Amino acid sequence: MAQLPFTNDIRMLRFLMFEMTQGDLGDRVGVTRQTIAAIEQGKYSPSLEVAFRIAHVFNKPLEEVFRWQKDID
Amino acid sequence: MSFREKTHWAAFLALAFAFGWYFLAYPWAMVSTDAGVAAVAGMLVPVTIIIVAVMAATATFFAIRAPKEANLKEDERERSIHIRGTHLAYYPLVLGAWINMIAIFYRFSPGVYLNLLMATVVIAELVRVGSQLYYYRRGY
Repeated sequence: MAQLPFTNDIRMLRFLMFEMTQGDLGDRVGVTRQTIAAIEQGKYSPSLEVAFRIAHVFNKPLEEVFRWQKDID
Repeated sequence: MSFREKTHWAAFLALAFAFGWYFLAYPWAMVSTDAGVAAVAGMLVPVTIIIVAVMAATATFFAIRAPKEANLKEDERERSIHIRGTHLAYYPLVLGAWINMIAIFYRFSPGVYLNLLMATVVIAELVRVGSQLYYYRRGY
């Protein structure tokens, strides 16, 4: 599997938001718990809509949740 | 493991075992006779019953255990996995169709064409479900 060119801080943000579970986040975003787990592990690249929805749940701008890796063009 | 992944495993195993039995137990010596064609129809009945029964039992069992998950709509990742699996299954399907078309020129019996067509569909279905399981596990 090719490594995605970005990382994310969803796990940490969930923890900071009263230890929100993957299932709770999935419910609020409209995806399954497994999809949240896949995004966290960098196994799945979410659509722009889902990425924005995740950022919206944490009340953060998109770039504070997902970060482009500097060593990748 | 999600509800859909579990039902995919059930489908994959049911297909593999049911059609595995079919192709091993089919009386190949009489494939070119009318009885060979009748055998295809006769053997497809238990195969279909096995697959439908396993799928229904598995879906019911896991839906009772996790009703919330069973009622969830497919999300974008699952839709994408399904599209990829269906795309991959297209190749064995087309290959099988070509083999069937070429086989017509060799004037085989209807029993041979029936089995060839069935093998094509079964292989395509196994590739579809198998690749979807692979993507569920590995991600992409």
